[in-house]
Amino acid sequence: MKPLLVITAMALVVLAADQATLDRGQKEEGLTCTPCHSLRLVHSQRLPKATWNKELDKMAGWGAKYQDRDALLEYLVANYGDDKPPSPPAMSADGTPKKKQQ
Amino acid sequence: MPFSRRRLFATLASAAVTSQFVKAADEPVTIAGKRPMILHNDRPEDVETPVRYYDSWVTPIDSFFVRQHLPRPAAIDSGAYRLTVNGMVSKPVELTLADLGKLPQFTVPATLECTGNGRGFYTPKVPGIQWMRGAVGNAQWRGPRVSDVLKLAGVNTSAAYLETDGADTGVASTPDFVRSLPMSKAMHPSTILALSMNGQTPAIHGFPARLIVPGWDGTSWVKWVVRFTAQAQAGTGFFMNPAYRYPKYSLPPGTPAKPAELEVIEGMPVKSSITAPEDQTKIALGLVTIRGFAWAGENAIERVEVSTDGGSRWRDAQLSPEKLPFAWRLWSLDWKPNDPGYYTILSRATDSAGRVQPMVSPWNPSGYLWNAIDRVGVTVEKTA
Repeated sequence: MKPLLVITAMALVVLAADQATLDRGQKEEGLTCTPCHSLRLVHSQRLPKATWNKELDKMAGWGAKYQDRDALLEYLVANYGDDKPPSPPAMSADGTPKKKQQ
Repeated sequence: MPFSRRRLFATLASAAVTSQFVKAADEPVTIAGKRPMILHNDRPEDVETPVRYYDSWVTPIDSFFVRQHLPRPAAIDSGAYRLTVNGMVSKPVELTLADLGKLPQFTVPATLECTGNGRGFYTPKVPGIQWMRGAVGNAQWRGPRVSDVLKLAGVNTSAAYLETDGADTGVASTPDFVRSLPMSKAMHPSTILALSMNGQTPAIHGFPARLIVPGWDGTSWVKWVVRFTAQAQAGTGFFMNPAYRYPKYSLPPGTPAKPAELEVIEGMPVKSSITAPEDQTKIALGLVTIRGFAWAGENAIERVEVSTDGGSRWRDAQLSPEKLPFAWRLWSLDWKPNDPGYYTILSRATDSAGRVQPMVSPWNPSGYLWNAIDRVGVTVEKTA
């Protein structure tokens, strides 16, 4: 079954390459997006690739300096594309003053 | 790629930074002074009011939504605060909080709604904070009229716009938050420079001084106001163009806007929201009070109708007594379903100018002004 082995090996290489790209994209996100805003702003959205691409252009205009823009775009589409289910709403913790114990 | 010690160091450093931020994103976030809120962004703060908190005409500050475009400015010392009034004026002035406090003070009840409230309902999805029902609140704003403030500087009657700048500034190259308001609206007796909100001065909501533009989109209500400039023309910064503009002619969903056909958003549309029962919840067979609020920009709410059968039959809801322009009215309707099962509840508001909440809110590329008839689904269950 040599052909199957070859195909499997090739698929593994492709998958590994994809995962490596996504990992690089995530690293880029942590470096480039977070100086200005938290990642919740990114992760709460579900957008098609063309729209994520435009967002990256907008952020570049506002000073984002990408080192790995293509990987970032792939990562955003793979995790926060418009075909992904909406993110469950996150809640903040209670920030009201604690009532004094009786 | 040739190995270099510098590159290795840079890689290690970036990995450390990444893990630090990823970790931070997963940790609980507390917004000082706020009850648990729907958290869209914690830096800067963008938090939404869960609908179950809405049970009073005045929304308490501890549950009032927050939308920041830019990081909050450092706390403003009330003694050091200065408001610059310049531009087309006969005598530019710098005013202290004490100067503003000496002017006649007015209380204006008004509903503040984020321009993008309801963006999360649009299909196809558009970028921006995915607000649902809770980027809106009603408060008592108090301070001097903007017209009285401008008189202190001798504003030129030919000035057509008032530019307002807040103390917040951009990060990296993000644009400063500056807005222009037509002078006719700035001089309206209900347009005030609020020095308090529900009797308090929360910095997170723009105090010590916030512009109140009743009936207009939240973007016009500039926070931490430090400069008024009377001008002949509207400003051209990002937050006037292209941001916060709406297509003059409706677009097919998912298509780009034509920049020349985008207009500045001013007064808000007529709208109602259902706050109870909550969407996709289960309720016991018996008497149910359906509740919500309705508001209409510069108009007052005339009527709210509710359907519990998907829109076949409509009944008038009871409205709270204050029928005012700018401020919302609470509404409620008692409903006793005869049978268990799944029900679709709708609410539809009509305002004093005859505007009726539409069935479909026009899609637009920035997801502004969602005001479709509100809709929740509930499962009514027999109790044992």
